[in-house]
Amino acid sequence: MLQASHLTKKFGELVAVNDLSFSVEEGQVYGIAGPNGAGKSTVYNLITGIYSFEGDITFDGISLSGMPPHKIAQLGISRTFQIPQTFPSLSVEQGVGVGSRFGDSDGYDSENVESILEFLGLEEDRNLITSDLNLLGKKKLMIGSALATRPRVLLLDEPMAGSNAHEIRDLMELIRRINKDMGVTIIVIEHFMKVLIELTDKLLIIESGTKIAEGDPNEVTQLPEVIESYLGDAYADDN
Amino acid sequence: MSMNWKSMSAFIAVIYGIMAIMPLFVGDVDHLMHILIMCLIWAVVASCWDLIMGFAGIFSFGQVAFFVIGAYASAIFSIDFGINPFFAMLLAGTVAGGFGVLVGLPCLRLKGAYVALVTFAVHMILEPFLKSGMGRAIGTGGSMGILTIPPLELFGISFTADNKIAVFYAALVLAVVCSVIIMLVIRSFWGTAFLALKDSEDFAASLGVSGLRYKLAVFALTSFLTGLVGGFYGHYVGMLSTRMLGIDLFVTLMIMLVLGGIGQYPGVILGAIMTVGINENLSALGSYRPMILGAMVVVLVLLLPDGIIGLLRRFAFWKTSAGEKAVTGGVDNN
Repeated sequence: MLQASHLTKKFGELVAVNDLSFSVEEGQVYGIAGPNGAGKSTVYNLITGIYSFEGDITFDGISLSGMPPHKIAQLGISRTFQIPQTFPSLSVEQGVGVGSRFGDSDGYDSENVESILEFLGLEEDRNLITSDLNLLGKKKLMIGSALATRPRVLLLDEPMAGSNAHEIRDLMELIRRINKDMGVTIIVIEHFMKVLIELTDKLLIIESGTKIAEGDPNEVTQLPEVIESYLGDAYADDN
Repeated sequence: MSMNWKSMSAFIAVIYGIMAIMPLFVGDVDHLMHILIMCLIWAVVASCWDLIMGFAGIFSFGQVAFFVIGAYASAIFSIDFGINPFFAMLLAGTVAGGFGVLVGLPCLRLKGAYVALVTFAVHMILEPFLKSGMGRAIGTGGSMGILTIPPLELFGISFTADNKIAVFYAALVLAVVCSVIIMLVIRSFWGTAFLALKDSEDFAASLGVSGLRYKLAVFALTSFLTGLVGGFYGHYVGMLSTRMLGIDLFVTLMIMLVLGGIGQYPGVILGAIMTVGINENLSALGSYRPMILGAMVVVLVLLLPDGIIGLLRRFAFWKTSAGEKAVTGGVDNN
């Protein structure tokens, strides 16, 4: 469904992503992990057209190379950001509506917006200014806006960051429902390894923009090179 | 958040409704009628500035330049090409809109202060261009300016400076039409796109909002309307010079915007009317006037960051809170 081939991104002398290839199958929950600065968010910025790149990314056989971000969204790839992004000038309902109005190829659909507000439990907050929401509310709204585009692939960038154990459980359940009930393929960047093991079907580990492992999450996290380069002592202590 | 549709319509209706009956009281005072006409003209220019800066978040400082481009273009079309002033105004708006798009193109890759620099550069370049040989060749009159601009004539009425009541009502119609257009844009999906791009451009783009389309559209629309009103101004006063490109008008427009509240449309309309009034009262101060105007910008930004609309909103909130406390006997329910 989504295929990245020999993806490379350089910022001057810095190689942020280096000859990276991976493929995501329809219906999968695909995880990406790696230490800080590994190039995980950069990969998202390449897929969503924020940065240009060398190599190729195809979505259902269509090359995304040179395609502007709004076209990629309309094609069916939507995303969230590590630092929750909302529209402080708009209400919660309008924020979700942005995705429906501009990202859904069928145009604004009030029923879709309504069902997303209900799905996320944001019905009662619909008239709030988005900046009045708490962190979890902002994350849900960001996901809601992305879902309103009716994506086929949803890229989640560290959705658990800053969340407590209860919120993490809620978000994991939400991601599962988006994947199973809505049939949306998920790619998730996350630091919490236990979340990735529990949630994902396939896991990619990168370091300094280079792939060091890819495969079944339970197997990948046991590889010595992964433990050494990313998981380190913290993971060893955890287990 | 911006005002809702009903409040916005009511606010505009009340302001322009009051303006509409003003000639009944001051119709025979030539000087006051001129001030009222200028209130309406600057209300449109400042509203356009609010749309691009306050709503779309584009720090465009080229609004005066688009106004002057429109004024000169309409004058040149009517004098050198013999085009009816009404159509010359429409053409001038189109020319200004085209310039807006040309200026908007390099701004697509820029943000914040850099956009302000590029757009203000257009303002700075315009004066030497209009005075240059190239300017004279296209009919700007060089340093002399243009002195014989024909008045607007419609339905057998001549809208000259000697017939200020007619000019006033023509300006009122123009201001109402422009305000309705701006209001419709703000309340439509265009306005949503502008706000979304202003708040978070990357997130908006990831949801399908085209920065290219909507940024160029706001440049085109605001410069078109500003150029149109610039053309109207030229046909009203009958002469043009590059004096308008001085810092005075720029600062005055900025006060209108800040006083009304940036991004608080239609507060800027009230801001424009109040600023024109204040400016007239300060004219006796001569060279100290620009200094006082500059100080006003600083004071307003510090004390009234959301302008009059913000003040009214705070007052309404205070009144509601006070009312609730009165009902609950001042007991904190928490």
